Amino acid sequence: MNLTPEDITRFLIAISVMLFAAKVFGELLRLIKQPSVVGEILAGIILGPTVFGSIAPDMFNTIFANSKSTDIAIDGITNLAVIMLLLVSGLEVNLSLVFKQGKTALYTSVIGMVFPFAIGFLAAYYFPEFLGIKDSALRLIFALFVGTALSITALPVVARTLMDLNIFKTQIGFLIIASAMFNDLIGWLVFSFILGMLGQSGHGFDISVIITSTLVFIAFMLLVGRKIFNKIIPFIQNKTSYPGGILNFIFILGFLGAALTEYIGIHAIFGAFIVGIAIGDSAHLKEQTREMVQQFVTNIFAPLFFVSIGLRVNFITSFDFMIVLIFVVLAFAGKVIGCGLGAYWGGMKKDEALAIGFGMNSRGAMEIVLGILALQAGLIHERVFVALVIMALVTSLSSAPFMNYFLKRFKDSINVNSLLKPDLVFYTNSDSKESVIEELIRKLSEKYKLDYSYIKSEVMKRESIISTGLGNHLALPHAKIKISEVHFAVAISKEGIEFDSLDDKPAKIIILLLTPFDHPELQLRLISEISKKFKDEDAIKELIDSDNISKFITNFKSL
Amino acid sequence: MFKKIGLAVTFSPNSKALLKETKLYSDQFSSEVIFIHVGSKSDSIEERLKELIVSGGFAPESINIVWGQGDPAKVINKKCEENNIDLLIAGALEKEKVIKYYIGSVARKLMRDPVCSLFVLTEPSLEPKPFKKISVQIDYSYESEILVNIAYQLAIKEKASEICLIREYEVPGLAITVYDTGSTDETEKIRKKWHSEEKEKMDVFINELNLTGIKVRGVCLYGKEGWEASNFVKENNSDLLIMSAPSKKLSFIDRFFQHNEEFIFKELPCSILLIK
Repeated sequence: MNLTPEDITRFLIAISVMLFAAKVFGELLRLIKQPSVVGEILAGIILGPTVFGSIAPDMFNTIFANSKSTDIAIDGITNLAVIMLLLVSGLEVNLSLVFKQGKTALYTSVIGMVFPFAIGFLAAYYFPEFLGIKDSALRLIFALFVGTALSITALPVVARTLMDLNIFKTQIGFLIIASAMFNDLIGWLVFSFILGMLGQSGHGFDISVIITSTLVFIAFMLLVGRKIFNKIIPFIQNKTSYPGGILNFIFILGFLGAALTEYIGIHAIFGAFIVGIAIGDSAHLKEQTREMVQQFVTNIFAPLFFVSIGLRVNFITSFDFMIVLIFVVLAFAGKVIGCGLGAYWGGMKKDEALAIGFGMNSRGAMEIVLGILALQAGLIHERVFVALVIMALVTSLSSAPFMNYFLKRFKDSINVNSLLKPDLVFYTNSDSKESVIEELIRKLSEKYKLDYSYIKSEVMKRESIISTGLGNHLALPHAKIKISEVHFAVAISKEGIEFDSLDDKPAKIIILLLTPFDHPELQLRLISEISKKFKDEDAIKELIDSDNISKFITNFKSL
Repeated sequence: MFKKIGLAVTFSPNSKALLKETKLYSDQFSSEVIFIHVGSKSDSIEERLKELIVSGGFAPESINIVWGQGDPAKVINKKCEENNIDLLIAGALEKEKVIKYYIGSVARKLMRDPVCSLFVLTEPSLEPKPFKKISVQIDYSYESEILVNIAYQLAIKEKASEICLIREYEVPGLAITVYDTGSTDETEKIRKKWHSEEKEKMDVFINELNLTGIKVRGVCLYGKEGWEASNFVKENNSDLLIMSAPSKKLSFIDRFFQHNEEFIFKELPCSILLIK
């Protein structure tokens, strides 16, 4: 079947309209700090039969539903997009991080997968009619699918949320990312087998052959392929034109991996994903290259895929409130409880565990990829697909606010301003370094029931190494002690106290900072933050001259 | 700093050089030396070992040899534990052949599961030279402070020209955020912000230690832990890298999914002092 010049024209117009709408809605969503993928899906819904198709059916048909050959061309492009999307997802899976995060990551990801899988599987297996499944032959595969759909986490949305909450580069951020990566790996493996069981891919191999071949493929790629790619990548980066050479290499391998798994009988996406992991593991692969591949795929191909979803499905006629509700409830219950319990048993505190649960709850684009593949394979019908899309959107949009709520007291997000308490800021008449330090310790010990002698000995031990008179009238005595929270008190001396400061100026603002012994980086960060506040001499003069405590706190916070 | 030093002594080509190096450090730290020999004990072997040890500069009356038989790495570790040795000195090739790397040589086995601090010398010399540039891999923890203090004491004794503190940090998954921002600028901006925060923390860390009498430099590197340190040490021509010993025994799987220490162990960039 050849494309006529008219088909080509319409095909190109369709692609342009899809890309334009995806960009416009993606950017609009970004403006309100929401994932751009949500905008891309909305663009599809608006362009598709749900809105545009029902308002102007003739024009819709002219652009998007004109001939079989253009349908095939669009289908080919969206298939390529999914393969590329999984390839770039694989590139960011860092297996070493998963191993490094140890017990907590393992508990979070394993329980966070098993629990939602179990409730999803049981609900779909025993009550398939509630989810709109009448064909009993598909009951087992459908139940496996629902379990997998509920257990998956979308790494891109998780990464974005962590970045927005400013906790990406923290222990809890690493834990969530590591668990999400592990989730992805297992989730896609299971899903690929489900598609294999449906017999949509491959050459009709027996299931035992499919499983064996897949395991051999995984083992080869992750053990041998990884090492080979690691040797080749520096050569390609140095000897071929950059970035063309390395981009070419990544996509060639990704497509070959995809072709192989499609041949074996599991879906092509899995091959691309595993090849992505094997390439992405290389220490030689430049960060710049990773970002370039991401941009290439996610600005051109991924939007086409997400817009195409709305073009295929009518979201109004296929909307079933009950199915949507069931999926949303199961999704929240499965992930929040599963990952939350895993993190809690792995050693995290209750609030942190809940934050991790909500962080891992975002399904985003990955759920939609999973849904569309299941829809294409005939495993689910449009009502279930629509419910999955809505569930993916709801879980993604709710992830950040819930995480933010539970992470309020999280140590790594503490800043100096948040530590300032009116009852722990006072004017002092002390006239020596030791007496003001004692006064500060007494204030904190009384308020928080701390061991005065222990703290004094630790603070003075630190003071004996080098004076904490940092200059510009600031003194910052501090110590790392066995406490669970940061404690902070401020004494203001109008007269000034001799503190052996670097600039010989007397200390007029004396801040006592006590940080937990097991969070050494927190102390360094807070000291650095306080030091930076005291750079501007005029602002410090104004701060010292504050008439009362309330004014002092306002001025301090504005430094 | 180290009260008891252990040295596995054999009749290998670099034994004498290792003995000379051990003598130097035992004098520097005023440490007792215990020699470990893996093999069967006989008068003739003992006699030859003593001759060898004396040729390394040790007084005959101070020679204390402990004997053991079996897997060399296991025996050496067992003898270290039994004799409360707190520093074991060993020689190692910079790079093993591929198969040997995965199977594990004696030195690599000791590095992957040290029972005490381990000093791995890549080029032991009959005329030991002091270390000029000492690098320390840190993460700002209490253990890092211990590492830096050891580096400082060693640097003062060796009259080193600088101590370089290396902090590596990486945020896996960062590139994937490009997906939703559609902009590498924002990613670059956040990476720069993290880098400047790391530098500020490094400055405070160095300041807190108040090390006087030697140049102390801090470098913050974005990338895989171990890999970045190894590359930096090579580029900086450091002759000693001090780092924490692995917190748990490194297994075969760690060699396949290399991380942290394994990047360094695979190809030693210089001599290594692992602190337990």
